[in-house]
Amino acid sequence: MNAIDGTDRHIKQEDAPPPSLLSIVLDTNPHAWAHLSSTLPLHACISALLVFINAHLASGNANEVAVIASHTHKAAWLYPTPKGNRPTHSTSNGAIDIDGEEAGRSGIQDNPNKYRPFAMVETDILKNLEKLLAETKETHLSSTPTTLIGGALSLALSYISKSTILASPLDLSTAENPLSSLADSETSHTARVPLTSRILIVSVSGDLANQYIPVMNSIFAAQRKRIPIDILKLAGDTVLLQQASDATGGVYVKPERPEGLLQYLMMAFLPDATARRSLVMPSAGGVDFRAACFCHRKVVDVGYVCSICLSIFCEPNLPDNLCLTCGSYLSLRNAITPAPALIAKKKKKKKKIGGGTDSATPGGTPAGGGTPMHS
Amino acid sequence: MSSSSQALEYLEQQPLKTHTKLYEQPSTVLAIFRCMLPHLAKTLVMAMLYMTGPFPADDLDAWFRADGKKDKGKALTVLDRLHIMTTAVAVAVTGARTTTYGLAPRFATSLREALTGGGSHRSFGVPASTTGAERVTVHFLEQYATKQWENILFYMVGSTVGLAGGGEGVGGEVGEGTKALLKMGEFIHIAGRNVRITKKGFEFVLRDTNAQVWSLLIVYLQNAPALGMSETDVLSFLFLLGSLSIGQDYTTSTLSPTQLQMLEDLSAFGIVYRPSSTSPSFYPTRLAVTLTSDSGSLQQRSTTTTTTPKETRGSATEKGFIIIETNYRLYAYTNSLLSIAILSLFTKLTTRFPNLVSGKLTRDSISRAVKLGISSAQIISYLQAHAHPQMMRNTTILPPTVMDQIRLWEYEGERVETTSGYVMKEFESEKEYRDLVEYAESLGVLVWRSDARRCFFVDQIDQIGTYLQRKKK
Repeated sequence: MNAIDGTDRHIKQEDAPPPSLLSIVLDTNPHAWAHLSSTLPLHACISALLVFINAHLASGNANEVAVIASHTHKAAWLYPTPKGNRPTHSTSNGAIDIDGEEAGRSGIQDNPNKYRPFAMVETDILKNLEKLLAETKETHLSSTPTTLIGGALSLALSYISKSTILASPLDLSTAENPLSSLADSETSHTARVPLTSRILIVSVSGDLANQYIPVMNSIFAAQRKRIPIDILKLAGDTVLLQQASDATGGVYVKPERPEGLLQYLMMAFLPDATARRSLVMPSAGGVDFRAACFCHRKVVDVGYVCSICLSIFCEPNLPDNLCLTCGSYLSLRNAITPAPALIAKKKKKKKKIGGGTDSATPGGTPAGGGTPMHS
Repeated sequence: MSSSSQALEYLEQQPLKTHTKLYEQPSTVLAIFRCMLPHLAKTLVMAMLYMTGPFPADDLDAWFRADGKKDKGKALTVLDRLHIMTTAVAVAVTGARTTTYGLAPRFATSLREALTGGGSHRSFGVPASTTGAERVTVHFLEQYATKQWENILFYMVGSTVGLAGGGEGVGGEVGEGTKALLKMGEFIHIAGRNVRITKKGFEFVLRDTNAQVWSLLIVYLQNAPALGMSETDVLSFLFLLGSLSIGQDYTTSTLSPTQLQMLEDLSAFGIVYRPSSTSPSFYPTRLAVTLTSDSGSLQQRSTTTTTTPKETRGSATEKGFIIIETNYRLYAYTNSLLSIAILSLFTKLTTRFPNLVSGKLTRDSISRAVKLGISSAQIISYLQAHAHPQMMRNTTILPPTVMDQIRLWEYEGERVETTSGYVMKEFESEKEYRDLVEYAESLGVLVWRSDARRCFFVDQIDQIGTYLQRKKK
């Protein structure tokens, strides 16, 4: 009779793994790929990625994929193709339709040797990539040596969030008013969101410190939404992306032999959230948590931090005493203190002088005594 | 039981020879990979697919977390039974034995071909070049499939609840072949002109559409040899159908005679549509393309069909329409006779309006259903699968009180549950017993154990048998 206890009410929902959405951010920085061309040319990487995407789509019937190129001057959709022939800009977050079925139908040449959904994804990706590369002018390349990973990441995140809303059970009222479902997607639906998402960044560029703020914001957004960011670092090295995978619980792999890309992808990046629960996944290991300074993009141990926007600077000599990032007044000259190791000593001294009125000390009365003056 | 597990069970019983033959077709391999394998098994297969050498068992163990051992065992069992994975034992010079795993070569090649789209197997269906006005719309296919399938269901249910002949187009004629098939599968019992639904038939009716299709097709498969068809051919054609896309027509010229014969039967079920029986092309319907999707596709289907302009009358099975309150009152927004007939199997229906029937779940109505052979789990899963979108928003779709009460009503009648299997007893030592019982537990086949009497009960014995043999050596 114990079996009547309704504790197994949820069993039906849990027996199949939830569908998973994989957003791939492909770094298409021409500078870096030119550098890599001897070991792993871009076309080899794309074909490996396509097989990987097919494997992902095959792993679950409702699995979805989105591919975004992070180029030198813009972030562009590779799949799904945005509806209408609007220029695809990193700023367009509008109605990009999920099912590119209708759009892709006419252009696809039917190939009896290929599973149709695979063929549709492949055609779209190749077409859009070609378009992106054709659009790239020399001026774009010469203006910057790096890639717009921040924009691509936020595109991926917004797409994921939209797909999550679309995938969760809808009723008629929310269909009429999408905003209301957006509003309570945070609160009521989180318990049974059926879509699990992750982001994979295939990165080849090194220096990303100039996008510290957008990337960090994206990382925090991903952390909040519990979206793991996986990093496949084919070349270069950035502290930022290591931190991204560490903070969101993603996988970090820096292949020793980029030629074997496909095996790395299949083994380390294919398992989705359900499979990862029972597997040991590679991670970054010792993560370098140091931040890059915003003025010279040096990785610093100890720096100066703007109190408004939390930007980090390696030296106190700011022009006009204005923060380089947010432009607020920031006088660092006054803050120059001896080496940080000495701070403890200094505190003690202060205590003696101020009579323990430091508001941070638990024993002191916070209201009494003046706030300790700066200087 | 979900639809894919049904097919998996059938497939597992097939011998190695059938498997090897099946794995020659990339579309079949892809379909088996997509819908049959457990999630972890998919991960394993993909990890090994492009590996250059065999995969040492120690490395595999290291890859899994300690708490994932059970799932690993299950995944390996399925891969082993389907002959997808091969195990090799190599003995080193030092005498140390190392076990390595590898994929069956045929399977690996086909799966690689399916993923890359290479080769010239043409196994994903050759599209016909029909153009323009002759083409059939997706909407039409949708209607056609629903009509054919509901006809079959109504044929089974209608006579039992006394609604037969009252159909407004629903109770259409069902083909003789289909009737024979339903009889062979023991879904119905025909005595003269009187058709009675059996216990198995109830199970069938209450499942979701996808599972229904599979159960009917499995009966079809089992009877294929008697009709002079090769089972392998039939199976691979079914998997091929699952990988086609709706709205596209495919040519029949590349099909084998067996498959052509199948097309006729399948169009009677509504799984494929042919403009005429001699037409050189056929269209797969929604029933066909979801063959290799999970039952979860039911909900997905309702979101995809919103693109069609108008919901058809008979589409009630595709969209949730049932609301149940905590006071056991049931409201069903439907006018489909089939749905009403099914509901009336376990509900005391009181009122019918043009678009709504209302009634109540009572002790009498449930126990009557139980007597007919319907289990509480089936009722609950039917109600869940067809719950109104408004209900879908709740954390447990049905009110917990109602679910528990339905179970309690059922348990009033039957208090014993049976599982068929094997009892293992008379072990020589405690250690041997422990070892085996833990192995059985890790496989997930252990049903019951008694440490004091040193015996336990399993529902499947093949794996344990091979384990014992290996140990003896």
